[in-house]
Amino acid sequence: MATVVEQQQEAVTAGRGPTAGSALGAERALLRFLEPHFAGEGFPWTQLWGYVGSLVLTFAAFGLVIHHLLTPTALLGLVLVLAAGQASLQLGVFMHLRESRGPAWQVLPLGLSFAIGVGMIVASLWIMAFKWGVS
Amino acid sequence: MTPMPHFAVYLIHTLFPPDVRRPTEIGADVMMGVVAIWIFVHMTRHHRWGWLWHEWFTTVDHKKIGVMYLVAALIMLFRGGIDALMMRTNLALPLHPVISAEEYNEVFTTHGVIMIFFMAMPFIFALFNAVIPLMIGARDVAFPRLNAVSFWLFAFGAALFNVAFVVGGSPNAGWTAYPPLTELAYNPGPGLNYYLMALIISGIGTTITGLNFLVTVLRLRAPGMTLMRMPMFVWSALNTSALILFAFPPLTVALLMTLLDRTAGTHFFTMGGGGMPMMYVNLFWLFGHPEVYIVVLPAFGVFSEVFATFSRKRLFGYDSMVLSMTAIMVLAYGTWVHHFFTMGAGPAVNAFFGVSTMLIAIPTGVKIFNWIFTMWGGRVRFTVAMLYAMAFIPTFILGGATGILLATVPADYQLHNSYFLVAHFHTMLIGGTVFGLLAGMYYWWPKMFGYSLRESQGKLAFWLFASGFWVTFGPQYLLGFSGMTRRMDTYPLGLGWHSLNVVSTVGAFIMGAAFLILVYNVLWSMRHGVRDQTGDPWNGRTLEWSLPSPVPEYNFACLPTVGERDAWWGVKEAFRRETGADEDAAPTPQVRAEDIRGLHLPRNTAYPFFLGASFFVFGFGVVFTWWIIAAIGFAGIACTLVYAWFDHDEHLPMPADEVRHHEATLGRLLA
Ligand code: HEM
Ligand SMILES: [Cu+2]
Repeated sequence: MATVVEQQQEAVTAGRGPTAGSALGAERALLRFLEPHFAGEGFPWTQLWGYVGSLVLTFAAFGLVIHHLLTPTALLGLVLVLAAGQASLQLGVFMHLRESRGPAWQVLPLGLSFAIGVGMIVASLWIMAFKWGVS
Repeated sequence: MTPMPHFAVYLIHTLFPPDVRRPTEIGADVMMGVVAIWIFVHMTRHHRWGWLWHEWFTTVDHKKIGVMYLVAALIMLFRGGIDALMMRTNLALPLHPVISAEEYNEVFTTHGVIMIFFMAMPFIFALFNAVIPLMIGARDVAFPRLNAVSFWLFAFGAALFNVAFVVGGSPNAGWTAYPPLTELAYNPGPGLNYYLMALIISGIGTTITGLNFLVTVLRLRAPGMTLMRMPMFVWSALNTSALILFAFPPLTVALLMTLLDRTAGTHFFTMGGGGMPMMYVNLFWLFGHPEVYIVVLPAFGVFSEVFATFSRKRLFGYDSMVLSMTAIMVLAYGTWVHHFFTMGAGPAVNAFFGVSTMLIAIPTGVKIFNWIFTMWGGRVRFTVAMLYAMAFIPTFILGGATGILLATVPADYQLHNSYFLVAHFHTMLIGGTVFGLLAGMYYWWPKMFGYSLRESQGKLAFWLFASGFWVTFGPQYLLGFSGMTRRMDTYPLGLGWHSLNVVSTVGAFIMGAAFLILVYNVLWSMRHGVRDQTGDPWNGRTLEWSLPSPVPEYNFACLPTVGERDAWWGVKEAFRRETGADEDAAPTPQVRAEDIRGLHLPRNTAYPFFLGASFFVFGFGVVFTWWIIAAIGFAGIACTLVYAWFDHDEHLPMPADEVRHHEATLGRLLA
């Protein structure tokens, strides 16, 4: 995947023309964020464990729900905790959240995603609330 | 499992149940068979299979992927159009229906699904792939191989969907597929599973495309191209991608849960099992409303380019265009309940979403005014692309006005699911999306293929298409007012519906004729179309027109440096000032030999194709719940992915001399 990024980087470094100025150094650092760095880093143990971990978390939640081991409130709480664990695992291991170099601009889209996600869930709960009145 | 002698009987009954043995189906099968044999013979006779494989099926070049999307979209437009004509024929002949009620259900379902997912979406991706990298001065998209993966997931998803009416039976629960219509108890057989698997598979591809173009636009712009210097079409790609990223997951989840209900005995949406069917409706429209903006924002982008170019003016109110498009993107996430006001969620919920819907009219209105002011005082050229853009304005105003009516909750209780709604969404989808996509096709065709589509034929098709549109859908608003509801296969006489329906059907056939002329236009121009010598046939404004047509594999020999918005127009203006040349003159851009350096192009690969094929096998297995076939497909997916993981040989070096040589043959090398 690196080709296009590299070429763009080259062009940016080459810095032809009046617009290529000091700001481009920072741009270059930002682009490096996109470089794949798995090559030469040995076997991806983190990813493997992350994968196993995500499966364990999924089946734990599924098992809890299927076997009715807890009261509804406790169940809901525990599943939410597992979900939070799952989310951080996905972001940390597979979405390279910890690998930022330079300004951590991914905080912005992450915040946006979080807002949209929470908005969708809260609104859905609100929309569906009438169901308890009906049934 | 049935014992062996019965196995063949079982197979035939499952694969070819009575509902795929009706005359219409068999007729279509024969036609498809003839076409397939013709293609096979033609390809073999001319030894074209290798060419197809090496040049197209394994390509990762965004321009070729764009062409493949376009071909697929036009074929699907044909299929969806045939479906439309079948329905319209039925509705014109209430006394002698040509298709049964069951068939009508299948036809409106496939029509809706194909038009939205397998016509509009690939058409949009065709235009994105064809020009977005060129407009921002990049050599490809950010992830060229994933781009091919997206295409093949779409293509095999579409193929799986189209297999349904030949093998096993079509889905029939509408493009929305609400439960309980989709519950196994009420809808046995493979039909709905086809819908679910096809949309899950192609949906994965779409999500990846969204991601790909998001990264491309944010990260691969040429030096100097700041966000506020991007062409409007690039802005529309950015916003569309952002919508795709959040809109498709709810759909995939909803479809997956329905699939589990049908195949694994869960009860997410089954009323009898304590499930909540209304949650499906909520999830579907959580996707569905953003989807309508996913299909219309790219059209807005096309119109912005077309209006500016053919008015010979820069786009009026660029800043407000950017702002309003972004506002639409954000607001699009907050209106989905307007598709199910009648579900009964209560006045507070309905009022909130009614108002949020009406809010969208504000940024949309801003855009309409800006387009009109772009033409104002400009030197307007009535090309085919411009005609579609101009026809869009009144259509979209009508669609917007009727949309506001539908957003008024008390009115919606009356209008919901009537022909008023059918007319409204076709006004938006045809007058907005299809006009926009066709405008984009005519506008960028020379860039994609190196020759223009003949304007006179294109204009004939345009006039038939646009007038046919009004004849078809104008009467449907009235039919809605007089109480005709959506998804009716026929109706009794004496309700005052007949003559309006006949008019509507006549209009539909006019649009069908327009499509045939359009196809003729393409075929004629393939042979006799005017070559585009300069690369800039329309006196364009944005970077893609600075390149030769068709564009070389590497796009830009040297990446451009952008100093202003409408970068290419700026270059031309400077040239005209300096040389005192005539005001439409354009320089041929030249590169200095020493500026050209060796490049790396993304190398062709077959794995995206095999990944798609494996998904197809997997999907087919799941559709019939033949788990062995599904397992084989799954193994194929796993193997392809592992192969792709270890395949680091993805660069194809292109030495500087080869680029220089190519530029020299194009007459663009400064000695
Ligand atoms: C030649 C142009 C077209 C004609 C004559 C046409 C006609 C129809 C008809 C007769 C129906 C069924 C209405 C009903 O019985 O409820 C329908 C439904 C639909 N059409 Fe079209 N159509 C056309 C183009 C399109 C396009 C271009 C799109 C999308 C881009 C589209 C999207 C849909 C959708 C989503 C439905 C709803 C399907 C459902 O009820 O599940 N149509 N159309
Ligand atoms: Cu909507």
